[in-house]
Amino acid sequence: MQSLFNQLKNLSSTGVITAAGQHNSIAVLITKAEQVRQQYPQFYQRSIAIQYTNLADFVTALIAFDGCCSAIYLRPPNVTIPHNDIIDWPLESDAAVVDSMPSRLKSETADVDSVATTWFMATSGTTGEPKWCSHSLLSLTANTKHSQKLQALCWALLYQPYRFAGLQVVLQALLSGADLVDVADYEPLAQMAFLKHADVTALSATPSLWRQLLMTGQLSELTLSHITLGGEIADQSLLDTLKRMFPNANVRHIYASTEAGVGFIVSDGRAGFPAKWLKDQTLTVALKVSDEQHLLIKPQHHICQSLALQTNALGYVDTLDKVQVNDDRVLFLGRATGTINVGGNKVHPEKVEQVILQCTDISQAKVYAKKSALLGELVVADVMIMDAVVEQEVKQQVLKMCKKQLQRFEIPTKINIVNNIDHDPSGKLNRKPQHD
Amino acid sequence: MLNLEQQIKDAMQQVAELSDCQLVESINPDTLLLECGLDSLGYAMLVAQLEEDLGYDPFTELALDTYPSTFAEFLAMYQQCANNQ
Repeated sequence: MQSLFNQLKNLSSTGVITAAGQHNSIAVLITKAEQVRQQYPQFYQRSIAIQYTNLADFVTALIAFDGCCSAIYLRPPNVTIPHNDIIDWPLESDAAVVDSMPSRLKSETADVDSVATTWFMATSGTTGEPKWCSHSLLSLTANTKHSQKLQALCWALLYQPYRFAGLQVVLQALLSGADLVDVADYEPLAQMAFLKHADVTALSATPSLWRQLLMTGQLSELTLSHITLGGEIADQSLLDTLKRMFPNANVRHIYASTEAGVGFIVSDGRAGFPAKWLKDQTLTVALKVSDEQHLLIKPQHHICQSLALQTNALGYVDTLDKVQVNDDRVLFLGRATGTINVGGNKVHPEKVEQVILQCTDISQAKVYAKKSALLGELVVADVMIMDAVVEQEVKQQVLKMCKKQLQRFEIPTKINIVNNIDHDPSGKLNRKPQHD
Repeated sequence: MLNLEQQIKDAMQQVAELSDCQLVESINPDTLLLECGLDSLGYAMLVAQLEEDLGYDPFTELALDTYPSTFAEFLAMYQQCANNQ
């Protein structure tokens, strides 16, 4: 496959990126990327970690290093790179890097753009340490479409671009020659102001973000033709609301995961996906439901090494997503692992339980999901306390401990003091809620 | 029994304290929900808290044509749901 650089060079026209009021044409960023390649020939076939600073510099780095470096790590803030032999981009000091590189590499630049670059993206692991999953430009762009109509779009970026969903939006906009407006770091009302000002026509967001935009009361002022939902289960009522507001728009929900790469797109306006897809051999991914009601997928592209244990002999990856077949539809029920999805943010209950158990007055803790019509799921904790402890004080103690060590969406929104916590016959914690 | 408006305001205060949000000083009927001081997590917690206090969740029970954007619309939605009980 051609590198990002070459694909963009071959487009008849490219778009403009707008972030924080600054406009940058992709054509200029391509030239900048070319300069970076010329300035740093020693990066050829090396691994590089791109630390996100702003959208224009991030996109320039992607264009420069795909096809040139052997690996690109998209590094979220505060995440350490997996090993030492990786160049940190942007460089802290030019001299340090140039001096440490073997000089012979400088003569190999003629082959630039011949490298099949592996892209690594971080996903949160159970222990809090990120898990790095590998992709290729081919797998990342499997669902990217090109057309005259798509070129005229203006996409809004509401996701962090170094995360899977955000990168999808960035690549779709870049490779279709569309414009892109970055509003990821703003509150919903400020986002709406930017979206209206830029006349955004295409928007991809989690169901929770869509609900927030609906709560501004101004979403209907946009003229959206492309509506995408992803990162959480898309429910029928939200799909219906968006379809009513934008009857002419193409409303689609995407099933994908950082681990497995792009999954599939549903565009018939209904929640879940058609059950007949389970037997369809012509799809880009083959789908099956396991005996345990997990969704299995078999992508055409390479599967990340980290998924080896979840892959069966026929090449199907267990997505660990629970599904239910209802007549002609397969509906998503949530994660089989107990992982909680708070508005698109993954929460590992084990991690929260470990923090709660640091409180001396608590003997047992169970963390699980409570359904939320606004954020999909919320984190709830049941705790057992030692005798002769004041309940209110224990709750305060738990909250204090959690606020110190957890991100906001990981902190239990409710703490129930209970007399008993269920265990499976195997002794494992039973994370189903005990009471409503 | 407190009136519904006061119950919602009390729950907002409770959730704001729990979720480290700062509510605005006075919430009027036309105050925008997204300017009350609660963020998305705060509102999700508020709806969960009210479901526990009142026994219903309009976001689940009503087929919403439009989402509430002001406090008055939020209150009206809960009133409508209360009338349906």
